[in-house]
Amino acid sequence: MAGTHRRWSLLTIAATGLLVASACGGAATTPAPASQAAAPSQPAATAAASVAAASQAIASQAAGQAVNGGTLIVGLPGDMAFADPSLVSDGNSLYVMTQVVQGLVGLAPGTLSDIVPVLAASLPTVSSGGKTYTFTLRTGIKFQDGTPFNAAAVKYNYERWQNYPKGDLQDNAYYYGAVFGGFGSQSNIASIDTPNDTTVVFNLKQPQSNFLISQTLMVFGIQSPTALQKGNADATPLSGNKYAQGQLPQGQDMVGTGPFTFKDWVPKDNITLVKNPDYWDAANAAHVDEIVFKPIGDSTARLQALQSGSIDVAVVIQPTDVKTAQSSGLTIIDRGQQTCNMLNLDLNQSVAGKPTIYANKDVRLAIASALNKPAYVQTFFAGQALVPTSFIPVGTLGYKAETLPGYDPAKAKQLLQQSGVPASQLSVDLYYPSNVTRPYMPDPKNEAVAIANDLQAVGFKVNLKTEDWGTSYITDATNGKLPAYLFGWICDWAGADDYLSVAWFGYQNGQPNAQFHYANPTLNDVMLKALAAPSTDQANQYWGQAQDILAADMPEIPLSSAKTPGAYDSKVHGFVPQGGVLEYLNSVWIK
Amino acid sequence: MLRYIVRRVLGAIPVLFGLSVILFLFLRLLPGNPAVAILGQHATPQLVAQISSSLGLDKPLYVQYLQYIWQLLHGNFGASFVDGRTVASTFLVRFPATLELTTGAMIFAVGLGIPLGRLAARHPNGWIDGAVTALSLFGISIPIFVLGYTLVFIFGVELHWLPAVGQIDPRLNVNPVTNFSIIDAILSGNVNAVEDAVAHLILPSIALGSIPLAIVTRITRASVIDVSNEDYVRTARAKGLTEKRVDDRHIMRNAWLPVTTVIGLQVGSLLAGAVITETVFVWNGVGSWVVQAIENHDLIVVQSLIMIFAIIFLAVNLLVDIGYAFLNPRIRYS
Repeated sequence: MAGTHRRWSLLTIAATGLLVASACGGAATTPAPASQAAAPSQPAATAAASVAAASQAIASQAAGQAVNGGTLIVGLPGDMAFADPSLVSDGNSLYVMTQVVQGLVGLAPGTLSDIVPVLAASLPTVSSGGKTYTFTLRTGIKFQDGTPFNAAAVKYNYERWQNYPKGDLQDNAYYYGAVFGGFGSQSNIASIDTPNDTTVVFNLKQPQSNFLISQTLMVFGIQSPTALQKGNADATPLSGNKYAQGQLPQGQDMVGTGPFTFKDWVPKDNITLVKNPDYWDAANAAHVDEIVFKPIGDSTARLQALQSGSIDVAVVIQPTDVKTAQSSGLTIIDRGQQTCNMLNLDLNQSVAGKPTIYANKDVRLAIASALNKPAYVQTFFAGQALVPTSFIPVGTLGYKAETLPGYDPAKAKQLLQQSGVPASQLSVDLYYPSNVTRPYMPDPKNEAVAIANDLQAVGFKVNLKTEDWGTSYITDATNGKLPAYLFGWICDWAGADDYLSVAWFGYQNGQPNAQFHYANPTLNDVMLKALAAPSTDQANQYWGQAQDILAADMPEIPLSSAKTPGAYDSKVHGFVPQGGVLEYLNSVWIK
Repeated sequence: MLRYIVRRVLGAIPVLFGLSVILFLFLRLLPGNPAVAILGQHATPQLVAQISSSLGLDKPLYVQYLQYIWQLLHGNFGASFVDGRTVASTFLVRFPATLELTTGAMIFAVGLGIPLGRLAARHPNGWIDGAVTALSLFGISIPIFVLGYTLVFIFGVELHWLPAVGQIDPRLNVNPVTNFSIIDAILSGNVNAVEDAVAHLILPSIALGSIPLAIVTRITRASVIDVSNEDYVRTARAKGLTEKRVDDRHIMRNAWLPVTTVIGLQVGSLLAGAVITETVFVWNGVGSWVVQAIENHDLIVVQSLIMIFAIIFLAVNLLVDIGYAFLNPRIRYS
């Protein structure tokens, strides 16, 4: 394989020479093919302009000084799960796949929800009240195995997912089921038409306003139908599926259209990608020859690996390690004000069939005023988190700024008096999970202690309780057994629906989510209207209403939205941080 | 001798069978559902039920056990709940790394422990002996992860003398053929790669070898002092043999026996220590695999790995016992 690599290097040196020349000449005038796209509808035109702007920014940053070549070693918190994007639902897999496969649409670099056409030439035209999406595809694109990309390839991929049989494939294809409401005939996709080679028409059964934002997920990346068929990618059980296990020779599995090609995978040890010398978007071709992803679960070991030069980038570091990393000369990956997670204090209005004190709105508002969120952010996140300004983070599609209750103990006491709940009943069983840290929850126990102190200061009596995260906490929380508890959510896609409807307040089988027992038919109705809205703009209006309702009612208390810092070595350049921790590494170069 | 070996192997069967029952029950009695671990925040009751059923966790416990043991009797260690890979295939990829690490640790422990023990025994209760004793105490009492992080911090992060984590620098593009990083480096024909692989082995070997080093040192010292007081040693000296000859032929030959036993017994503690060492040094062996499997509630993997560890432990003990016969012809097994 060493020999193979050398041949690759020669090829890529030749290729990158040409690309540098074209990038220097063309960066200002033809930043990306997107700008040439026909713009059949107004939103498409603005989106095309924004991808142009984004890639222009990256191109100009790169054009002056970018150096091609070299190997970039990236430390991830965990390994990839499968080499088939349609079968994964975890951040580590998606981080790798973001470099290799592309969907019809994607996110502009560095943004959380700025949807841009990728393999589509423009954003789709939407008709029939939001039930028909017509995509015009880019032409002249080939998959990394040489198979031409066209409408048939898109149809093949979407129908493959839809027809996954019960068992291993459906079990792992979480996102297809979650986004389209199930597989086979349950899927919201009624049919896919391909009137010609460059047109794909999705006919939906019901309008689905999250269709576009959800399709930016790399699990909906289009893979080469030739490779999928030759690699027998649908074989079950997955233990014998070499395509899914990424054990086929280079170029035969995870075959997409992206700037990097999947080379090989030693499970739990490393994943190697090499530059795609024939990448269709020449102005945004990769700079480095090779990326090696190294899964390092232990956060101390990951930071030490970076400090000692064993890796070049640590995608995620502990917020409390930011100062240490800075003092050893590393650059912090600041993912800015746009984050993709939320930690809440969840309040369950009914446990074991009995209403709790949280069914009283004044009690909920009192709790919201009692909590000193800025202090938690400083203490437990070393400042690497944001105090929420709504129920979903800034930058999420459908976000609306709300005035949430601030820290005001006097007001909390007054609200408690107003609530009419006798002081003897103001007792809180506050649960936090043990044996876990999550990006949105670096220190659950001590944060729970801080919350308990704040609640006691305004007149609550607090009993701190804990359960093991993996063993019982998650199930007890989701089954509605916990009264007040710390619980967070990492977004699947940065849309209001993913938080408000999927994770929290969407009715399930006509009942409020057992996590909250928060019965509010008006809210549910507004959210259903938002989901069924024929356009994003209309959907966003409904999502705004939903946030207004929540802000008035406070069925849960948003505590913080973590910034999820990372760090890289001084030789790394051109890294564009993204709030959802999904960066495109084609702009990165090393020197 | 052969009969002895056969008897020992047959004797291992009920041990392993009993272990399989205890392990199976123990792991299943632990609270928690692998499906929840797999699904994480997506663990809705419906999906948990669906995945549990796919994994066969909804079947009665005895059915699950019989299925497991039936597979095991056919040499099938089962497959991971999480990634679907068979335990056997992953084991074959990861075990060489552990073997390489434990070998490195053993070379460190024995290579340094025996000379240190002999040195200490030469002047019992002198200052050298005191220093060696202090070193042993330090080695045996410092937790591996503390020593590991400290070594990485000093030699990797601050001094940049040795690599901090991993088995070989991925930039060298060494093709994994045998999964022994040093052998793979040699096969690649790249001298830098060999140096790099050896450099990667040094710190984890020291971390993992610290406890065996302490034990080997202490036992060697005690054993040498013990044998030195025997009559035949005095006789040998009285015959006018050189001190070196007395040392090599008369003292060490006899002192080897308890040392060998202890080295054999260290295999168990090395496998246990590898669990921590491999996690700290991001070493892709079976030790870090156990940790990941436990975190993921990957019951089949945990169970099969512990079974494999037990088999290795029993096999090594048998080898040690056989080894006695060669080291000391007076020992006969029947």
